[in-house]
Amino acid sequence: MTLSRMPEPDQAVLDRSSAIIKDLEALIGVDGVISEEEGRRAFEADALTAYRQAPMVVVLPRSTEDVSKVLKYCHRNGLKVVPRGAGTSLCGGALPMADSIVIGMSRMNRVLDADFVNRTITVESGITNLAITDAVSAEGFFYAPDPSSQLACTVGGNLAMNSGGAHCLKYGVTTNNVLGVKMVLIDGEIVDVGGAYPDAEGYDFLALIVGSEGQFGIVTEATLRILPRAESARPVMLGFSSCEAAGQCVAAIIGSGIIPVAIEYMDRPAIAVCEAYAKAGYPLDVEALLIVEVEGYEEETTRLLRDIVDIARSFDPKVVEASTSPEHSARIWKGRKAAFGAMGRISDYYCMDGTIPLGRLPEVLSRIAQICAEHRLKVANVFHAGDGNLHPLILYNANDADEARRAELAGAEILRLCVSVGGCLTGEHGVGIEKRDLMDVQYTPSDLAVQMRIKSVFDPNWQLNPGKVFPLSALEASRASAAADQAA
Amino acid sequence: MSDLQRPAADWELQFVIAGCAERRVPIEIIGSGSKRAIGRPVDGTVTVTTTSLRGISLYEPNELVMSARAGTTLSHIEAELAARGQMLPFEPIDLGPATGGPQGAQTIGAVFATNMSGARRILHGAARDHLLGVRGVNGRAEMFQAGGRVMKNVTGYDVARGLSGSWGTLAVLTEVTFKVIPWPETAATIVFLGLPDNLALELLSVAMALPVEVSGAVHLQASVAERLNHPGLRSLNKSITALRLENFSSAVSGRKHRLKEALKVYGKALELDHRETLEFWGELRRLSVMPNRPTLLWRISTKPTTAPKLVAAIKRYMPAEAFYDWGGSLIWLEVPATADAGTAEIRRVTAIHGGHAMLIRAEPSVRASVEVFQPLSPPLERLTRGLKAAFDPAGILNPGRMYANL
Amino acid sequence: MQTNFTPEQLQNPRVAEADAILRRCVHCGLCTATCPTYVLLGDERDSPRGRIYLIKDMLEDNAPASPEVQHHLDRCLSCLSCMTTCPSGVDYMHLIDLARGYVEQTAPRPFKERFVRQLLARVLPYPERFRLAVRLAPLGRPWLNMLRRFGLKQLAAMIELAPPVLPPSPKFEGPGTAATEDERRARVIMLAGCAQQVLRPGINDSTIRLLARRGVDVTVSAGSGCCGALTYHLGDEASAVAFAKRNVDAWSKELEKGPVDAIISNASGCGTMLKDYGHLLKREPEYAARAARIASLARDVSEFLGEYELGAPKRWSSLRIAYHPACSLQHGQRIKEQPRELLSKAGYSVVDIPESHICCGSAGTYNIMQPEIAGELRDRKAKNIKRVKPDLVAAGNIGCITQLTGQVDVPVVHTVELLDWAYGGPVPRGLEGLARFVSNVPEPKQRRAEDFIHA
Repeated sequence: MTLSRMPEPDQAVLDRSSAIIKDLEALIGVDGVISEEEGRRAFEADALTAYRQAPMVVVLPRSTEDVSKVLKYCHRNGLKVVPRGAGTSLCGGALPMADSIVIGMSRMNRVLDADFVNRTITVESGITNLAITDAVSAEGFFYAPDPSSQLACTVGGNLAMNSGGAHCLKYGVTTNNVLGVKMVLIDGEIVDVGGAYPDAEGYDFLALIVGSEGQFGIVTEATLRILPRAESARPVMLGFSSCEAAGQCVAAIIGSGIIPVAIEYMDRPAIAVCEAYAKAGYPLDVEALLIVEVEGYEEETTRLLRDIVDIARSFDPKVVEASTSPEHSARIWKGRKAAFGAMGRISDYYCMDGTIPLGRLPEVLSRIAQICAEHRLKVANVFHAGDGNLHPLILYNANDADEARRAELAGAEILRLCVSVGGCLTGEHGVGIEKRDLMDVQYTPSDLAVQMRIKSVFDPNWQLNPGKVFPLSALEASRASAAADQAA
Repeated sequence: MSDLQRPAADWELQFVIAGCAERRVPIEIIGSGSKRAIGRPVDGTVTVTTTSLRGISLYEPNELVMSARAGTTLSHIEAELAARGQMLPFEPIDLGPATGGPQGAQTIGAVFATNMSGARRILHGAARDHLLGVRGVNGRAEMFQAGGRVMKNVTGYDVARGLSGSWGTLAVLTEVTFKVIPWPETAATIVFLGLPDNLALELLSVAMALPVEVSGAVHLQASVAERLNHPGLRSLNKSITALRLENFSSAVSGRKHRLKEALKVYGKALELDHRETLEFWGELRRLSVMPNRPTLLWRISTKPTTAPKLVAAIKRYMPAEAFYDWGGSLIWLEVPATADAGTAEIRRVTAIHGGHAMLIRAEPSVRASVEVFQPLSPPLERLTRGLKAAFDPAGILNPGRMYANL
Repeated sequence: MQTNFTPEQLQNPRVAEADAILRRCVHCGLCTATCPTYVLLGDERDSPRGRIYLIKDMLEDNAPASPEVQHHLDRCLSCLSCMTTCPSGVDYMHLIDLARGYVEQTAPRPFKERFVRQLLARVLPYPERFRLAVRLAPLGRPWLNMLRRFGLKQLAAMIELAPPVLPPSPKFEGPGTAATEDERRARVIMLAGCAQQVLRPGINDSTIRLLARRGVDVTVSAGSGCCGALTYHLGDEASAVAFAKRNVDAWSKELEKGPVDAIISNASGCGTMLKDYGHLLKREPEYAARAARIASLARDVSEFLGEYELGAPKRWSSLRIAYHPACSLQHGQRIKEQPRELLSKAGYSVVDIPESHICCGSAGTYNIMQPEIAGELRDRKAKNIKRVKPDLVAAGNIGCITQLTGQVDVPVVHTVELLDWAYGGPVPRGLEGLARFVSNVPEPKQRRAEDFIHA
């Protein structure tokens, strides 16, 4: 896929690469610097493999001070920096540039403090999302945002993309669960924003930092809210013979005043693949499957499930099956959470992430099917129905250049569709390189200018995670207007 | 008296700001003006009010989302929501009565611009957590939108949320889109009496660590509790520690039982029924226990475990009366009026214990001379100035409202 | 994932196989989280996904393996945790085996490394040689520091791993059949193994007793020996194929003699290899079919016993057992629950070890070849085991048992030894001190009709 053009690498920087590598080795040690070609190539892509570019060098810091030293050096020498967590981004958020330094946070993965009385945990940003919950689950707590890649993705990456997950219908996304961060700015300065108390002082920089896609600085530590885990959580599977019925059922559940912790949707192709992997007992002969989870005390979940099933009855469900045991629930979720990866069993895929107003669901799903058919491609749908966050997976053969191109064109059309019905390009994966050139579908030039000026506050020379989020054309326009500002 | 402008459309607002930007004329931005006495006084040549930008532009109860023009009053919005059995999750607090402003007058734009959240924040999050999108005009007179109307949206930076709590110093919001939730079927409160601060806060933390979804956790010192209107509670002459549960009725009764069982070492609990619960928390929402008086009112944000220590430490320097909200992580502190508002001591103690403090109520002359908002660390201050310049390079929007020279 | 092989390259069946495996990987990165070396080192190149990338590049370039690639592939434990995690079903096991072969063929190793690898390949698979080597090991102990100083850390690790005293030889070494005294219900072939026989002969003895007690004839075939895994994972495919062929020949003869219900392995590393014989020998026309048959009969002892009713235990204990799932068992063969269930049914109380999906560092010869990483993993595992405060540890693989013995303050034994004990066998070696916590289950008295009426 080549629709998004990369910025031209700076030849002068590439010419200096061996000196730069020596300097970095002197700064944080040979052990933390990867410079040989094979090693660099292992970092050339994240989970969006359609875009690949090996960086000039990779560094693996062990402390905030390491990060600060490296950034200060990059700032002084005008070098581009691409932060990377676990490399699980589906939008190319960690895609390196040829003349960039990748800062991999994987070695900073410790829990620094778990405070169960005040219900907060402070961690280094390279820790995986699931490891946070693992660290507090013995005491009955959990960390709420649960992206499907939670086993591997780092909290640093979650902060960069403001990641969501299946259960954010009730608990909110990353930004709703962060109390404070320690961040290294591009000039190496270390700033603490917020802390283990509510509502950080001054402007809500936390809101801006979360979701800034690694373009404002590198977060090295985060203080997060942890919540007491409900006594029981039970999913029910509702199978329907049409996606319209499933969509109407979702709206009816939410309209009834019940807010489940999650409402997930899978269509027939997705069900088949996930069942093959997880053996969760998904019904195979329905067009649409909803997984609706409720939680609370035993007697409450029983009542809530009964209410939900009652609502579902009016949409003529083919299958109504509640989880029978915690193990069964685990399998139901295992299949859903591994849906993308499991799709790899049958095909390469291109994963979309648009969000739409719930009321437009049936119409949008049929348009998606149409768009893919027009491009002669298959599609599977797996998504967070409760909040309208769609993940159509466009299936294609990565070794077939034409098919890959058609997949990308179909993807762009689907995202335009999401925006046209009042939704957005990306609900939880981020813009990255992938949706960069579609930003002007959703935003006007002045909307983008407002955002780009914020970027300039944090990173005046645009060294951090370059080439992402904003169309290169908008970038050039903003440079011109900044110059005009200066002149004025 | 400054020139009062009431733009009724975005373009009118844009026109006013463009004119002022060109002439570098400072503008005071207000909604209804109910929070005008909070923050540093703004000396605006022009005052812009959003009250003519009103009306609900979108309401989809089945999608739990509403959009409203910034000048729409909160009471109008809450009435519309209540008609469909819904509400604002964050229970915005009304500071009008405590600061000499009108009660129930605040606009929805101001609620988000000041990030005003009430007791339910501990369960559902703050105002900013429910803000999905905004439209507004910045100090460059550019009209812009950020975010949108869908629940999940990470397209570009989270500018909408970034503007919440900026007190009109970055942009004038013209429309806000936010998440709503259904009214719970019922609500109940359990009340413990006579606990000292440290035990009460311990109780709140124990309750918050249980999966019963406490939607309000407060402690009122005895001297504060006696200002309640509730005839039963005001006359007890005891401190009050209260926990609220909201859910469907069988869940509320089950959870109430569990909560009382887990907290029985703290003494016998009183119960407030649904109606009393609405009244009690309604009073707190209006901050009626901190009525407008010539004393100072501080709002301190900290960790629950340090809150009682922090209050005790401040008491070494001055008399102080406290109302703890948010499970103890928010302290409303009333202290006697002094020339420097106790700033030095309160800020020093807060720094030691971790957290931040804001002076909510004081004479204008005091608010003009001390740091009303928590002073910032040097790197944060640098970023703050940068952000202000990015949105409002001429420095015309609410200049000095949050920080002097900003 | 996209691959870039030329049609000519794809003519090579190995490259074609690698291509098919690589195409399944979607680069999602989930595997990184459960990879022991990535968890320790935090370096993409030491994760499954990173290695897959290194292998892809190496094969696409069709150039000799670089020292860099060799280094990171050598660090892979082949614990196959990644395969349990992978939702896309990437066959990492065959990919890394294939890549190891390629590395050995294209990239020379320094003399010291070749020496150690040869030493292992020539000694470990042969019980007599190995027994002698273990007896000689104490002679090397005083020189450990010197060996390390000369860069012979692997040799030092080998000496350190050797137990100071060897147990007596097993009761039954074969070849031949240990016939059941009970009514015969099944007949199995047992892989007698190589190093295990020397290090802990009681495992085979327990297996035979346990099976014989339930009417199973156990045969150890003449001519069978090491399964070949050891040399295979050192990248010496030819030697592995030779070992495999010997076993296939030996067992085919046994199959001709009469029906065989299973080929039992009680060392899960070997069992994983047996189950893969079909794949290993698929390009050997004379062997392919027979090897596939053998592979389909292969069972881990716990898997076989799990399908068998063992009856009520003869002894009862309150011993708290931490069950350590060997990687070859839980990831290689996907056997997770059976050993735990067998132990529970035998009356032990079984506890899980935190992070049980992470390797203990043994991994065949890994603890010799990569002593630093193996040591870190061992210590991490020991810490996790201590956290659950067990009376003893049970595992289904001799490698893990050797690796953990002496590291956790409590004995480490094989699952079948404990089962055999519970069902009437002797006290397993090293558990003599715990015997007093174990008592005989009283014989149930014959119930008369009146008892039932009152009950």
